[in-house]
Amino acid sequence: MALGFVLHAAGVLAPGVGSLAELLDLHDRRRPAVTEALVLPSPAVLPANERRRASQVVRLVLACAAQALATGRYAPDELRCVFASDEGTGEVCKLMLEALVPSGQVSPLLFHNSLRNAPAGYFSIAYQNHLPAASVSMGCESFAAGLLCAVSEACTSAQPVLFLAYDAPLPEPMRALLPIEQATASAWIIESAPETAGNHTAVPSPARLSLGRFELSLHGVGGCVDPAPSWLPSAWAANSSARAFEVLALLADGRGSCEFPLGEQRLRVALVEGAAAC
Amino acid sequence: MSGIAAYSTVHAAGADNLTSWQAILTGCSGLKPNTLAWCGLPTWIGEVAAVNDTALPADLDAWDCRTHRLAWLALQCAPFRQAVDDAVGRHGASRVGLILGSSTSGIRSTEVAYKHWREDGHWPTDFDYRRTHSLDALCRLSGGLLGLRGPMVMISTACSSSAKVFVMAQRWMDIGLIDAAVVGGVDSLCLTTLHGFNALQLLSSEPCRPFDSARNGISIGEAAGFVLLDRDPAAVNLMGGGESSDAWHMSSPHPDGLGAQAAMRQALQVAGLGPQDIGYVNAHGTATPANDRAEAAAMRAVFGADAVPVSSTKGVTGHTLGAAGITEAIVAIQALEQQILPPSANLAQLEPRLGLDVVMQPRRAELRHAMSNSFGFGGTNCSLVFGRAR
Repeated sequence: MALGFVLHAAGVLAPGVGSLAELLDLHDRRRPAVTEALVLPSPAVLPANERRRASQVVRLVLACAAQALATGRYAPDELRCVFASDEGTGEVCKLMLEALVPSGQVSPLLFHNSLRNAPAGYFSIAYQNHLPAASVSMGCESFAAGLLCAVSEACTSAQPVLFLAYDAPLPEPMRALLPIEQATASAWIIESAPETAGNHTAVPSPARLSLGRFELSLHGVGGCVDPAPSWLPSAWAANSSARAFEVLALLADGRGSCEFPLGEQRLRVALVEGAAAC
Repeated sequence: MSGIAAYSTVHAAGADNLTSWQAILTGCSGLKPNTLAWCGLPTWIGEVAAVNDTALPADLDAWDCRTHRLAWLALQCAPFRQAVDDAVGRHGASRVGLILGSSTSGIRSTEVAYKHWREDGHWPTDFDYRRTHSLDALCRLSGGLLGLRGPMVMISTACSSSAKVFVMAQRWMDIGLIDAAVVGGVDSLCLTTLHGFNALQLLSSEPCRPFDSARNGISIGEAAGFVLLDRDPAAVNLMGGGESSDAWHMSSPHPDGLGAQAAMRQALQVAGLGPQDIGYVNAHGTATPANDRAEAAAMRAVFGADAVPVSSTKGVTGHTLGAAGITEAIVAIQALEQQILPPSANLAQLEPRLGLDVVMQPRRAELRHAMSNSFGFGGTNCSLVFGRAR
């Protein structure tokens, strides 16, 4: 069985990459990889008191989501949300341990920022979005698991879903455990595709242009994560969210597919129709 | 809709389904003063004492952490294991999904290891982050023990984590991805949550007293629970779930419980039921002044004042955070099986302004449908409706 979905808008954020177009340039080697860390803007969408408190991972998520929302075709409060990340809290994890282990003294602010669903909570506050939001994780398979959750939700709700896949860099000594060196994130606005979704059809407005139509299927046997393609900077090798870039890069050719392990199976994502055909 | 084929629950007041239910039913609290060697906070905790005497088998040593010991305890339930084996036999291992929730997963192991890092300048050589603290470890360990090969994912949305697992599992069944799912959740006591809630001044120095006039905070507990959902209906079924976001504040609920109202109304709508059809609500009922007030306001708005019997069983189990959803879903399921409404423990003086029909003593009832509420930091809300087959 295959689950069809349409990608309506996408945002991409990583060092040296600030949009989907720039990601496709990186893929086509028209744009060099850079090593400088991403500088993330203070999220202007948040109320001033919350803005001050926003951690780096919250800034990463909000800045990336803002790109996908910038098309203006979807009101930010009409999107259901699925957020997927591996470790999920970035520098906050280290800050918590550094506060907890010697003294047990933790600031209330640090504690709620240490929650895996803090970015989802801030997003909902920023855009007054009252719809369901899920924060999911599956280690180095977090992107694949998150995409499956997001597409499942699009298919069953017949509503658009904002899917965010992200990883924030971990400071030492956490980096020795999980070598996430740089921030990578992508934001996807998706809807189920009526042609392929069987009985669970959504009917996106024809006026809403899309970037591509994809099919998702589960099969075979899981196993190891395949090596990342050579155009992806090696500094992103440990980032589950950077695997999302492989799927988005299919848009450059207008067709193709990728496979990712998910538990004991593999998740296949195929681009069925590129932008020109949609 | 999906059938509840089997379940297993472990919490401070009971290490198996029967003793857990007996404690819930008699309001016999599993809370006790904190004597943890590694945490000096003057609070009461819901510790699963058996964790301290539990070891994973030698071949699973790399996975050993407090959270996984709790999971291991819950997975010893023979009828549950048999039902999972039957589901795997009937549907095939790749058609049984696994969706588990946790707030802090095995973070306790990193807290211990970090102490070594600060003292020695390196991580302990036997510390395995991926098999202990990493969220996915619980899924991989549980999936391996149960012989599941279907799609798997962890949900981490604070205290709604292991309620939302039911909704995701139903989605996966609805689109034909799977025929059955093991859902569940585990959270264990750790410095992160004990000190985190203390910093927010939300920890009670006494056993927590949900809905009491003098309630003054939560008691943190630990728990593990698993439910086997099957496409085939059973004696008790998941009728539907509703989810929402408060979009209000990171660590306090909307004062009128607007998000909670939306979750409850959506759960009723998905279940095809009206408020009058619900015979019991297992409330989130954490026992902080603000949480209980907001949830009561939400229940009054959805059901009317004093219109539906309500209890919080956190006075027995403590607030088990990421495991609260599954623990209390199982209470709602047991109430439907036994046709008895469990009381709200530790309740001396019901706050009259809440306008709730709080169950004070075990109450016999002809119960067709029960709701379980779970709300969390970040404004995440989930309500589940379970029903007894005619």
